[in-house]
Amino acid sequence: MIIAAAGSGKTTHLVNEALKIKDGRVLITTYTQANEAEIRKKIVEINKCIPEHITVQTWFSFLLKHGVRPFQGVLFEKKIKGLILVNSQSGLKGRTRYGQPIYFGEEKEFEHHYFSNALKIYSDKLSKFVFRCNEKTEGWVIDRMSKIYSHIFVDEVQDLAGYDLELLKHLFDSNSNVLLVGDPRQGTYSTNTAPKNKKYRKANIEKYFFEDDSIQIETDRTSLQINYRSNAEICNLSNKLFPNMVATTSGNQTTTGHDGVFFVKKSEIASYLNKFEPVQLRDTKRTEVHTGYSVMNFGESKGLSFDRVLIYPTKPFLGWLNNNNSELAETSRSKIYVAITRARYSVGIVIDD
Amino acid sequence: MHISKIHIENFKIFKGSFKLPLSNGMNILVGDNEAGKSTIIEAIHLALSGLFNGKYLKNELTQYLFNNEVVTEYIQNLEEGNSAAVLPHILIEVFMEGDDLDEFLGDASSEKAATGFFLKIAFDERFQPQYEKLVKLGGIKTLPIEYYNITWSSFARDESITPRTIPLKSALIDSTSSRFQNGSDIYISHIVKEFLELDEIVEVSQAHRRMKESFMDEPSIIKINEKIKSAAKISEKKVELSVELSSKNAWESSLMTYLEDIPFHFIGKGEQSIVKTKLALGHKKAKEANVILMEEPENHLSHSKLNQLISDIKSGSADKQIIVSTHSSFVANKLGLENLIFINDLKRTGLNDLSYDTQKFFKKLSGYDTLRLILCKKAILVEGDSDELVIQKAFQVSNDGKLPIEKGIDVISVGTSFLRFLEIAEKLNKDVVVVTDNDGDIEALKKKYDKYLGDNKKQSIEICFDEDVDTGELEKFNYNTLEPKFLKENSLEKLNKVFGTSYEDDDSMHLYMRAHKTECALNIFDTSEELSFPKYILDAIKQDVP
Repeated sequence: MIIAAAGSGKTTHLVNEALKIKDGRVLITTYTQANEAEIRKKIVEINKCIPEHITVQTWFSFLLKHGVRPFQGVLFEKKIKGLILVNSQSGLKGRTRYGQPIYFGEEKEFEHHYFSNALKIYSDKLSKFVFRCNEKTEGWVIDRMSKIYSHIFVDEVQDLAGYDLELLKHLFDSNSNVLLVGDPRQGTYSTNTAPKNKKYRKANIEKYFFEDDSIQIETDRTSLQINYRSNAEICNLSNKLFPNMVATTSGNQTTTGHDGVFFVKKSEIASYLNKFEPVQLRDTKRTEVHTGYSVMNFGESKGLSFDRVLIYPTKPFLGWLNNNNSELAETSRSKIYVAITRARYSVGIVIDD
Repeated sequence: MHISKIHIENFKIFKGSFKLPLSNGMNILVGDNEAGKSTIIEAIHLALSGLFNGKYLKNELTQYLFNNEVVTEYIQNLEEGNSAAVLPHILIEVFMEGDDLDEFLGDASSEKAATGFFLKIAFDERFQPQYEKLVKLGGIKTLPIEYYNITWSSFARDESITPRTIPLKSALIDSTSSRFQNGSDIYISHIVKEFLELDEIVEVSQAHRRMKESFMDEPSIIKINEKIKSAAKISEKKVELSVELSSKNAWESSLMTYLEDIPFHFIGKGEQSIVKTKLALGHKKAKEANVILMEEPENHLSHSKLNQLISDIKSGSADKQIIVSTHSSFVANKLGLENLIFINDLKRTGLNDLSYDTQKFFKKLSGYDTLRLILCKKAILVEGDSDELVIQKAFQVSNDGKLPIEKGIDVISVGTSFLRFLEIAEKLNKDVVVVTDNDGDIEALKKKYDKYLGDNKKQSIEICFDEDVDTGELEKFNYNTLEPKFLKENSLEKLNKVFGTSYEDDDSMHLYMRAHKTECALNIFDTSEELSFPKYILDAIKQDVP
């Protein structure tokens, strides 16, 4: 497991490691489709094409293809029509008269627990289903995976949660070499919000693998700590968000004449955009931005690089900027960390006039 | 890597489920016509290549691929107003063994966890609403094949696999058909392509592209195009003569295989088979394996060519899976009896299913007679050559001069090995008549054939012998063999005529016949005299026996 800083080139590192392997097949998997595309792009940049022995697949499609389908017969005979993405706990049966949700149980209402009416498997139950399949077949699922892929690389491992972690644990015990790369600071998403392993979600993923003594895992906290993307001032701001973690240093010494962190008054946004052409980053679609210039949500921007960004901050973030001890929720903190570290040269932060 | 088993459902002659284990190396399918040998080969080839009758099946689905009875049952069901009649499907499952096949491991097979894949031709559920309407309207007389589709899936339920990604490739060498005389023998291009490595295929297609491009740069072509351009007032747009480069595998369809300057499809079928076989045997790719499917190699080949082909196949079979169907006992014998799989009545028997002693016996035996038994429609087993000739004659007399073999009945001399042959016949459910002497001891005879007489009588097996025990004055003479019985049935005078002899008493004739068995039998066979035959012989040649 490599704990890597933003901009430290972790995807490049992963891809290079994969390209080095001559014997066996490599799976590179990650949660988001954006990052999957980024990995493919990186491989093509370095190697011109994706070599036969490397498979790049999102975590969900990997689980569906190699976790669910091969031995689903031990749990469920009907044809599973794919995956349905859910943001909250799936399988809602109804509500009590006090408005409390009631969910389909796993044992008695198996089909409704795991599947939508169209027989699509709920994304938050996917890894649980795989885990159960593996349990029922006494390890065949994991065994098959490890026979196909001698190396399994997981990028952005902090996005995995719940039963995903149980599966990773099984994979550690298999014959496959498993390489996890992640940045706990960038825990902006989770594959699921299942109650299982809740305390290890996102930023706390690292702990999960250390609290269990039975897991033998080497952790590298130092080799990918230089942020080659952002300049020193940007790095310093980002480090302040996670004072308890090893501080990243900057590997970008280029100067452009407009370098560092700047406040941009609302009234000056138009001229700022015109002059520096930054990418506008916002928390959600609800934030109003200037049309005509490119724009992205914080979460979406993960893994990408821009010369300059203009951030539309949330209230808690503004509060934190004033006083670094003020309350800032974990996910918000991660999103802001991601947003700031996208920039190479300058970060603009929008403030009231 | 090889096919360890094939499972066929509702495909052509196979109604319901048929399973056939196959071994790595040589597999020889023998059996009657219509027993399903060719269908097995067609099924394997279809599952591995998507080809049926040399065409991609995808666009050519027809009801005739389905077992007729199954379709009839479905339609009857519908006619009886049972709207829930289950639409029949075709399933071909290919079980594989070998390295690097883990992706094909899963429990979507008829045998739960297994390695392999299947091809399914089944109703496409997306058409459920249309189908329901159709059923309500009534009057479905044929399978609604337009709502069917064909899919491949690994046992791990990976439906993205195609013949291209299946690591087993099939090379079908089919000398029986004259279907492909239109020139485009898809098999040869298929086989040639499988023979090439990926980078070689890329090189060929690049060269082909360059060739076509240089064609466009030819001054004469440019000139012609100028002319067309100026003449073509059909459209505002540019009209030009060009060569087709768009299709993915353009070179495959426009390149032709030549054999000593003769286009491949102009050479004899026999020679074609030999070339195809050699190409297929020469296929040596690291990550793929080749299954050679061969239909009746004895067709279209002279004896010496056949010999050559067989020795090629045999020497290549060490590291290749080969599945051959044949009617020729010569071919089967040469390729090795231990590899025989008998297909009979849509069931199969391997030599391994026979008792150890019988197996040993047949492996030692030349094998030719075994195969005659396997391949004939009905067999009459006799002890020696003279018995054989007499039976042949008796058959001819009562069948307008036709020999038994012309009616698919083979008369085989088996010496003393009756019981061994009967064991095989029983396994194969083959119609067999045993003609035997009673040797003066009916009880001993009945004991010997205990498994086939009285309460143990098998439907397909008849034991014919003379019920009477005859005696005489000669010492050390067996009055209960065919010759004395034959004399008893005819007169001394008649036999003197037939043999050109002039014996005056029966015993002298007996001694003569014993000393000149074969000669007498030949005389009987050749004579035009009217003869009578003992009842047990007549019983044996009755058409409805057993």
